[in-house]
Amino acid sequence: MASIWSLQFHSLCFPVSKHHRVFQFPNVVRLRNEFSLIDAQLSSNLLSTNRNFQLRAVGSSDEDPPVKTETFAVALNAKDPVAELQGFVASLPPVVFVMKRYGGRNTSIGLCLAAAFLVIAVRAFMARKSRYKNPGSVADLVRRGQLRSDRRGISRPLKYEDPFNNPLVKVGKNNSTVEMCGKVYRLAPVTLTEEEQTIHQKRRSRAYQWKRPTIFLKEGDSIPPDVDPDTIRWIPTNHPFATTASDIDEDLAQNNVYQKHGVPFRIQAEHEALQRKLEALQSEQKLNNLVIDPSHAKDFERPFKLNPKSQEPVEQNPFINKSGNSRPTKSDQAPNAFRSNSSSSEEMQKP
Amino acid sequence: MLSLLHTPLTPLNRFSFSPKTLKSPKPQFSKTPVQSLLQWNRKPQLAGETPRVVVITSGKGGVGKTTTTANVGLSLARFGFSVVAIDADVGLRNLDLLLGLENRVNYTVVEVLNGDCRLDQALVRDKRWSNFELLCISKPRSKLPLGFGGKALVWVVDALKTREEGSPDFILIDCPAGIDAGFITAITPANEAVLVTTPDITSLRDADRVIGLLECDGIRDIKMMVNRVRTDMIRGEDMMSVLDIQEMLGLALLGVIPEDTEVIRSTNRGFPLVLNQPPTLAGLAFEQAAWRLVEQDSMKAVMVEEEPKKRGFFSFFGG
Repeated sequence: MASIWSLQFHSLCFPVSKHHRVFQFPNVVRLRNEFSLIDAQLSSNLLSTNRNFQLRAVGSSDEDPPVKTETFAVALNAKDPVAELQGFVASLPPVVFVMKRYGGRNTSIGLCLAAAFLVIAVRAFMARKSRYKNPGSVADLVRRGQLRSDRRGISRPLKYEDPFNNPLVKVGKNNSTVEMCGKVYRLAPVTLTEEEQTIHQKRRSRAYQWKRPTIFLKEGDSIPPDVDPDTIRWIPTNHPFATTASDIDEDLAQNNVYQKHGVPFRIQAEHEALQRKLEALQSEQKLNNLVIDPSHAKDFERPFKLNPKSQEPVEQNPFINKSGNSRPTKSDQAPNAFRSNSSSSEEMQKP
Repeated sequence: MLSLLHTPLTPLNRFSFSPKTLKSPKPQFSKTPVQSLLQWNRKPQLAGETPRVVVITSGKGGVGKTTTTANVGLSLARFGFSVVAIDADVGLRNLDLLLGLENRVNYTVVEVLNGDCRLDQALVRDKRWSNFELLCISKPRSKLPLGFGGKALVWVVDALKTREEGSPDFILIDCPAGIDAGFITAITPANEAVLVTTPDITSLRDADRVIGLLECDGIRDIKMMVNRVRTDMIRGEDMMSVLDIQEMLGLALLGVIPEDTEVIRSTNRGFPLVLNQPPTLAGLAFEQAAWRLVEQDSMKAVMVEEEPKKRGFFSFFGG
């Protein structure tokens, strides 16, 4: 509606270009005309309106354009009340002439203007309301299906190829402004020069004399002979770091870091220790049995019968099967039970 | 946040994907050093020797070191580079939370040193970008043996260089706050540093001291990233501008990150900002900073003031 009205006001206010003939219809007649067109599509037979078309010729702008008004009847059926009404409406003079005649009485135009402004205001209000609907919130992302709220951190990857080539980053024509995320920023060039950087470096080198500590000693420890005292970090005895017991050798730790395949050192060491312990237990058992009850000597020939479950985990142990440098074991139950959590989690982490 | 245009690089490169339309498809800028500006439709060119071991430090706590590590790291991974992020915060690690990988950290460097697992088992691969891996130094309750904290990280970097699937392009080390043993551990293997600071004097004083320590340690390639910048406060002269900060510290600028509420949201979700769709202002700034890090470039211009956007005639109508 607004567009129709505005078009009509345009046509009222501005002169149309030269050599144009424009049909100027009265306001109501035009609307009725549109409706009748729709009607005409539906049932052309029923259409019997009295249409009066006003023809206005716009001549050159130099001379005062004489307005020629021609009225002609398209169809006439006086019996129809609707047609009567339309005829009455059509008989009214066009808006142009009404405006020319009654300059002060343009309440209808004022009403139209007020309605148009009302529509614009409502639309602007709605647009502003929708703009501040918190578009980046989690709830919004979940609603739009971009984030699964129940699975945090493992959402579907969002891919766009070039982060710089998107409509949210636009540089102004003369490179003095940039528009990011709908906001326009002014750009100021960086003024820092190389000389200023070196001046700052010299200032800092004078202000901060420092050597990176390479050795950490607790208070009270003696300084090793070949150590620069400036590179010692003295740790208070009550410091949490000072209570750390470094029970692991440095070379061994380095080897552990560099190890790429096979069973980790600690796992293997614990496994072997347990294996030795088990063997010792078994041999002790043999010895005791020998001493205490030599009549059951036949049982010693099958010592694993006493512990029939011990061999099963050996076959299921993923470490033993996977790693090449692991040693074959006879009994593996105890280390497996001890390290069951770590091995399973390791499997999950590195299949 | 952006570099100024010195060469007519951008508008041409924007259409460089259609060489048939260009009369001279030869690379015109091959001799000139790489200048990252607003880049269009090309991947950043990796400068320097790999792996680039970058420590992200600040001195003061709470300025955004971990956020920067997570976002820059994932941006680098999205650019196609292989990245290992090391959380060197011994007691108070948070990088796994920011990345949403906290449930997948089973082993740390301490377990590797003790021989409980291998190094490749301690690396947690991100499922979103498989060329991004996280390595934590220790679990919150365990303690790193003090004697060889720094050496341990050097070993880790060496072991990563020689691993079977190839050396990573970037090793980012998230440094703990302060200049204590954790700081020394974190900077030991680094070749370059990114200093994160905020526009307040407490952060700047700590940053200046940390830069001094880094320079004493032989790390010369230090770039600055100014976080939580508010242009409205700068305009009202309630906050130091980025250029003021640069004048005080005398460092090249890697990036300027505006204050953004999305940072807190992304932190709480464990979903880094640079993966947000639609992209946010801070996320774009992090990506551009990552781009400059790859090309060893620095900013040539900063965004100083927010101009009111010119609205068209029909914007009044809601358009």
